[in-house]
Amino acid sequence: MGKNVLLVDDSSTMRKIVGRSLRQAGIEFDNIFEAADGIEALEILEKEKVDIVLSDINMPNMDGISFLREKATRDNMKGIPVLMISTETGDDIIGEAKALGAVGAIKKPFTPDKVNEVLGPLL
Amino acid sequence: MDIEDKMIETTKEIFSSMVMMEIDVKRIMDDCGPLSNTITGMVGLAGTHKGILAIHVPYPVAMAITGSFLGMDVEEINADVHDAIGELANMLGGNVKTILSENGRDIELSLPSTISGSDYTFQLDKEVDKVIIEFDTGQGVFMVEMELEK
Repeated sequence: MGKNVLLVDDSSTMRKIVGRSLRQAGIEFDNIFEAADGIEALEILEKEKVDIVLSDINMPNMDGISFLREKATRDNMKGIPVLMISTETGDDIIGEAKALGAVGAIKKPFTPDKVNEVLGPLL
Repeated sequence: MDIEDKMIETTKEIFSSMVMMEIDVKRIMDDCGPLSNTITGMVGLAGTHKGILAIHVPYPVAMAITGSFLGMDVEEINADVHDAIGELANMLGGNVKTILSENGRDIELSLPSTISGSDYTFQLDKEVDKVIIEFDTGQGVFMVEMELEK
């Protein structure tokens, strides 16, 4: 069975760019699910099989940190890795994200090579 | 390297790696003046530094940038253009925050927003320090502006 990814970003442009970067990096997924904030992401994780989540931090309604906090309370999705993709890559913020279960971070702007370097070992 | 140089470096990096466009600095400006047929993307900064980071893009350049960003033809100022210019402001703001912030927690960024119109001016009411840089895309120019409260 192939792998599925969930892209979480309030910018539809950025979700398209991340999807394009995955393809350019040679990383293929069977399904690419998209969510515009943490609330939509949790709804998708309740319904779909997702192998990894790539999430922004600065989003309306439920930001990336709150999403991680809520996800950590739900047994059925605790084990799904989350990689942060954000302009917010200060040590404090990424430290908080990692404490809540994030497996790493990619800083915007990024290149397909950077996506491959960070995401490749996680798949 | 001062803030102006870092803004230039950051803007060039964003365009090179994400928009797939090479850009050059055209000039440093004191005032962006009245804007016409332009879309402005902006994010606010609050905390130890207060102000706004904005990118002002004339419509034809905004369509060219969005088309290159998304890899498709864009022929009108639509939701994709607003989203793309807003995301550019978001990336610029995030990187400027990294330049100005000591620990990542002393400055908060707003969510990006956009405005557009046939004729408008962009200015803060407070006394501010301004940095305005005009870039050339080869398909027209755009401006990146940072205003920080004194």
